Amino acid sequence: MKCHCIFRKTKADSFEHFIFSFIKYFLQMKTLSSGKLGKIQNRHNPAPSQQTGFPSAATHYTEPSIDLHKELVLNRDATFFARIEGDELEEFDIQDGDVLIIDRSLSAVSNRLALTIVDGEFTVLRIPKKQVGSEFILWGIITYIIHYVQ
Amino acid sequence: MIALVDCNSFYASCEQVFRPDLWGTPVVVLSNNDGCVIAANKEAKALSEIPMFEPVFKIKKQLTDNNVTFFSSNYTLYGEMSQRVMNVLKTFSPQVEIYSIDEAFVDFSGMKYSSLKDYGHCIRKTVYRSTGLPVGVGIASTKVLAKLANKISKKYAHINNNVYVIDTEEKRIKALKWAKIKDVWGIGGKHTKRLQNIGVFTAYEFTQLPEEWVRKNMTVVGVRIWNELRGTSCIEFKTLPKPRKGIATAKSFGKKLEDLGMIMEACSYYISEVTEILRAQKSCATYLQVFLHTNYFSDRDKQYSKSITITLAMPTCDTFVLIYEAKKALELIYKPGYRYKKVGVCLSGIIPQEYVQGNLFHAPPKWNKNELLKTFDAINKKYGKSTVFSALVGTRVKEWELIKEDRSPRYTTQWKELLKVKTKKNLQKTEGF
Repeated sequence: MKCHCIFRKTKADSFEHFIFSFIKYFLQMKTLSSGKLGKIQNRHNPAPSQQTGFPSAATHYTEPSIDLHKELVLNRDATFFARIEGDELEEFDIQDGDVLIIDRSLSAVSNRLALTIVDGEFTVLRIPKKQVGSEFILWGIITYIIHYVQ
Repeated sequence: MIALVDCNSFYASCEQVFRPDLWGTPVVVLSNNDGCVIAANKEAKALSEIPMFEPVFKIKKQLTDNNVTFFSSNYTLYGEMSQRVMNVLKTFSPQVEIYSIDEAFVDFSGMKYSSLKDYGHCIRKTVYRSTGLPVGVGIASTKVLAKLANKISKKYAHINNNVYVIDTEEKRIKALKWAKIKDVWGIGGKHTKRLQNIGVFTAYEFTQLPEEWVRKNMTVVGVRIWNELRGTSCIEFKTLPKPRKGIATAKSFGKKLEDLGMIMEACSYYISEVTEILRAQKSCATYLQVFLHTNYFSDRDKQYSKSITITLAMPTCDTFVLIYEAKKALELIYKPGYRYKKVGVCLSGIIPQEYVQGNLFHAPPKWNKNELLKTFDAINKKYGKSTVFSALVGTRVKEWELIKEDRSPRYTTQWKELLKVKTKKNLQKTEGF
């Protein structure tokens, strides 16, 4: 049934394109901006019932518990972590000791927070609307800030 | 078509990714124990005074005079960055042969593409964007030609932007005429001399030799290269490495050691390292070689070196059995009164675990049922190298271990060594964009 929907929806200009989108749908995948395929979560985790007495009603509904690395890091090969030293980034809600998750594969969309290089030094800034004439080299897009709450 | 993707001055580039202040400046990486320069970036190579593979103490002044930044080797970082590059390459083709830490062959056969050159640029850009590492791409119909194309891509990087494709007969011949015989992948120093003696100086002249001559003088290996250069692919594509036939480790001590106890601890540590690999590839070793030597370069010290090979009663991969054997071996070759620089171990006669034969007294052990070793490996895998170790390894590792004075942080594998970003006051200027 679901397959039919795809077939009708996709105006595939080539057969290959159709196959590709089918496989993508079938394996529950999505395309990352780097062109890499990432797996969508919500995986199935079948295991026999652990109860010695009455079998658990949850048997067919078990899922693996949340793994933050899987949630926060979409493209492992392009993701790096960095630790902030200093208090001058309060305007971005970044505090001393925070850890940034940086994805190098993401595009420089305006207004996103990014780790850049200005005059040979790492600098955190928001990507300006007009990128022409700006003097920074993009190192990576900041996707999350990990902050320890005192 | 096959692409050879290779990272530009890989070790130095890995260091530079995390050090933008060093972009465009000379960087070199020193060998284990900070002995000599093993890698240099473009800028450092341009300084002709810096010889590669020269002991560091001889050139330290030249390095500092030229503002060269030097790093101790950080193999944890290089290994991880290499893995990332290879993972990115695997998104371009299902067939990737990892040839070395910084090189891989990517097979495009059976794939549709409109422009190989564009695809090459796409690979280069994606690798750079994901990992920050610059790569060169050479594409051709065979491995040897791809290697050659890669060389051209590097040599003429300013024209072709690190991507070169040999896709026509004209380009192939032009490349062959350009390549010196010693630059051809697989032709070593001995064959280079022999070929030069008969007047063969370029790869093109080599391909013009009769096949019979090549077969007679350079064996079937030479014929393969000869064929590959002529555009006939005959070196197979391997996606898995062959299991290793010999596993060795030998590292210089951080300082000279005289005491047998300390040397034995180092030796046991190396045994633990090699047996881990042995078990990971599910094999056993038949022979164990242990060697020990003093510093050849020192004129003041008395010199001594000795090696001993033991045939094990039964091939094994048991860390504790091998440590015990190594201890006995070391006691045989150790002589007091010398200042030792290096101890090394080498396992050979490596066979798959299931091929181990029993002897008159013992049945072959069932390695997958050895709970001690399984638990041992599982703990070390979960909690880190040397969480549990044989008592003979001891706790004085720091005292004999290699010196790595200027090692960079392990940015990608250690939470405590993350990349540091210092914040600055004058951030307001960025808002003006």
